[in-house]
Amino acid sequence: MRTFRTVALAVVMSATALSSIHAADPIKIGVVTPLSGTYAGIGQQVKWGLELATKEVNAAGGIMGRPIELIFEDEEANPAVAVQKADKVFQVNKVDFLTGTVNSGSTLAVGQVAERAGKLMATTVSFADSITTDKCSPNVYRVNARAGQQSSALAVWMSKDKPKAKVFYLGPDYEMGRSTVAAFKQSAEKVGAQSGGEVFAPLDSKDYTQYFGQLRASRPQVLYTSVAGNDTVRLFTQLQEFGLLNNLTVVGASGTVTAQNIGAIGKAAEGFVTGVGYSAEIGTPENKKFVEAFRAANKTDPDLYGADSYGLIYAYKAAVEKAQSTDTDKVREAFKDLKWNTPQGEKTLRAGDHQAVQTMYVVQVKGGKFSIVGEVKGEDAIGPDTCTRF
Amino acid sequence: MAEAIDYFQFVLAPQMVIGLVLGIAVILVALGLTIIFGLLDVINMSHGEFYALGAFLSVSLAALGVPFWLLLVLVPALMLPIGYIVERVLIQRVFHSPDRHVTTLLLTFGFGLVLEDVFRLIWGPNPLRPDMPISGAVEIAGLFLPLYRVFMIGVGVLIIIGTALVVYRTRIGAMVRAAAFDRNMAASLGVPVQLVYAGAFAFGVSLAGLAGVLLAPIYSVFPTMGRDFILMAFTVVIVGGMGSIAGAVIAGLFLTQVQAIASLYISPVWADPIVFGIMVIMLMVRPQGLFGRLGHA
Repeated sequence: MRTFRTVALAVVMSATALSSIHAADPIKIGVVTPLSGTYAGIGQQVKWGLELATKEVNAAGGIMGRPIELIFEDEEANPAVAVQKADKVFQVNKVDFLTGTVNSGSTLAVGQVAERAGKLMATTVSFADSITTDKCSPNVYRVNARAGQQSSALAVWMSKDKPKAKVFYLGPDYEMGRSTVAAFKQSAEKVGAQSGGEVFAPLDSKDYTQYFGQLRASRPQVLYTSVAGNDTVRLFTQLQEFGLLNNLTVVGASGTVTAQNIGAIGKAAEGFVTGVGYSAEIGTPENKKFVEAFRAANKTDPDLYGADSYGLIYAYKAAVEKAQSTDTDKVREAFKDLKWNTPQGEKTLRAGDHQAVQTMYVVQVKGGKFSIVGEVKGEDAIGPDTCTRF
Repeated sequence: MAEAIDYFQFVLAPQMVIGLVLGIAVILVALGLTIIFGLLDVINMSHGEFYALGAFLSVSLAALGVPFWLLLVLVPALMLPIGYIVERVLIQRVFHSPDRHVTTLLLTFGFGLVLEDVFRLIWGPNPLRPDMPISGAVEIAGLFLPLYRVFMIGVGVLIIIGTALVVYRTRIGAMVRAAAFDRNMAASLGVPVQLVYAGAFAFGVSLAGLAGVLLAPIYSVFPTMGRDFILMAFTVVIVGGMGSIAGAVIAGLFLTQVQAIASLYISPVWADPIVFGIMVIMLMVRPQGLFGRLGHA
């Protein structure tokens, strides 16, 4: 049944491909992204960002006269499903390029599918440093800022605003928590911060008050935390209840305080600082134009996922026009140190590890909303190229 | 010296207060558990879910506009008939079987699992967070204390004293203790033993519900919340002596202070094994606990 369906699909697909060969042959981009499940909200932003950019590019004549066609597949934020769907769009839809993966596990897995298919792909969302460091691939690009860029931007801001601060670290007790704390600690110590100790609380802790003893004993000026979701709500409100937020600056990972939990945290979120690659508040004319168009199309503000996905279409357009082809090797050559314009300014795709270098922003919660309090130049936040595969 | 005072005021004392709040919370949950065990000889594994039920009821009633003060009375009152029915319908059926300990333990354990899923069906899996009934904080001698936690300590102490008075100083309490000591003799002297059993179970369940109302604003409300306290409450009951109210209070305060102070020097995650280690040592050295059973002292 399955094979029959695939064959039937292939027949239909090739039929449509044949019929359209007379018109300008579209450039096909596969979008394997979570359209259902936990990350559906992120997938929605990815879809909106890509669609907006595609509409603009097509209205202006497409890429080398060819329109862009987006082919969406729901990967359910599950690497196993993502691999199947990526195989499908490469083999059946014959896409030229692939994007959309959210979960870092999906990005790594789909990267291998792209290598086997001899095609290129880019993520616009995944944070895990490994994608462009030790698990880098010649076929995988990342146009958004990785976790390391976020934490070094935050550390640079801290070194200016709270020079030589004593920092206490509190992370959730699993892989993500330990790696974010280790990464920020490294960047913070590089710029002169002292470490006041670290504790790790189990994921989904109900009561953080028992961790406050060590926090008090170390008397830090800054608390770094990478807890997320409901854990942030409990941690912040309990800190506030016990008066610990007085004379303490709380900084954290970009996922710690988000649009989803900022309301529940309420006043306790005031003053929280984090490093991000995009904010709808960016005041440049390019961004204002983008936010307006995004709002008009989707009735909501873009977030970093929407903005970075929007920017990707322009990166691919620039590369294909430079290469004058959609051939994998030629486009890969064109992507080398490619500079292109995005809502958050010019980005550069570093040739050595395929990581986008971009201006980073430091944002702080003021009056229940994030506002930009600092900018860190791309070169200062990017860190060394540690990819050795190519 | 000034440094030591500063350390006490800024680090040690706040941590001890945090331990005290947790201690009162654990004692409130353990109180019902120890009464049910002391009297009925039933290890109520669904006690944590009754605590959760109290919290869920308080959230729903608060959403209907019932003020918090009324909830403190209304929820325990609603829990009484629920506890009474559970005892008559479920526990009484297997109460007279030869291996009562195992059957009642399994029965209440299963019932707890069912309740947990029922909560998930009705209220959903995500944590609900009731508003703090009292916001703000007081500063006493340089100590910064959230008002609601101070209130909780006060109410908790009143509940503990009230429960002790009911059990040790009233006629009903005397009947309960008599039935616990020798049910046949009590029955022959005219004590309605069946009713006393169901009533005591309902009372214990109602205390768990009251603990749920009080703790909901601090710990949030979610289907598996019963599991968080039940291990600690069992430890307190075992160390204090199964069925002893004084034992539960002393063990509750002692163990949570151990946990709080240990958390200053080691990872708080590792403070739990210390507490459970004390329980294991207690079981090896003095299995009956600090104090004897209810009615047997």
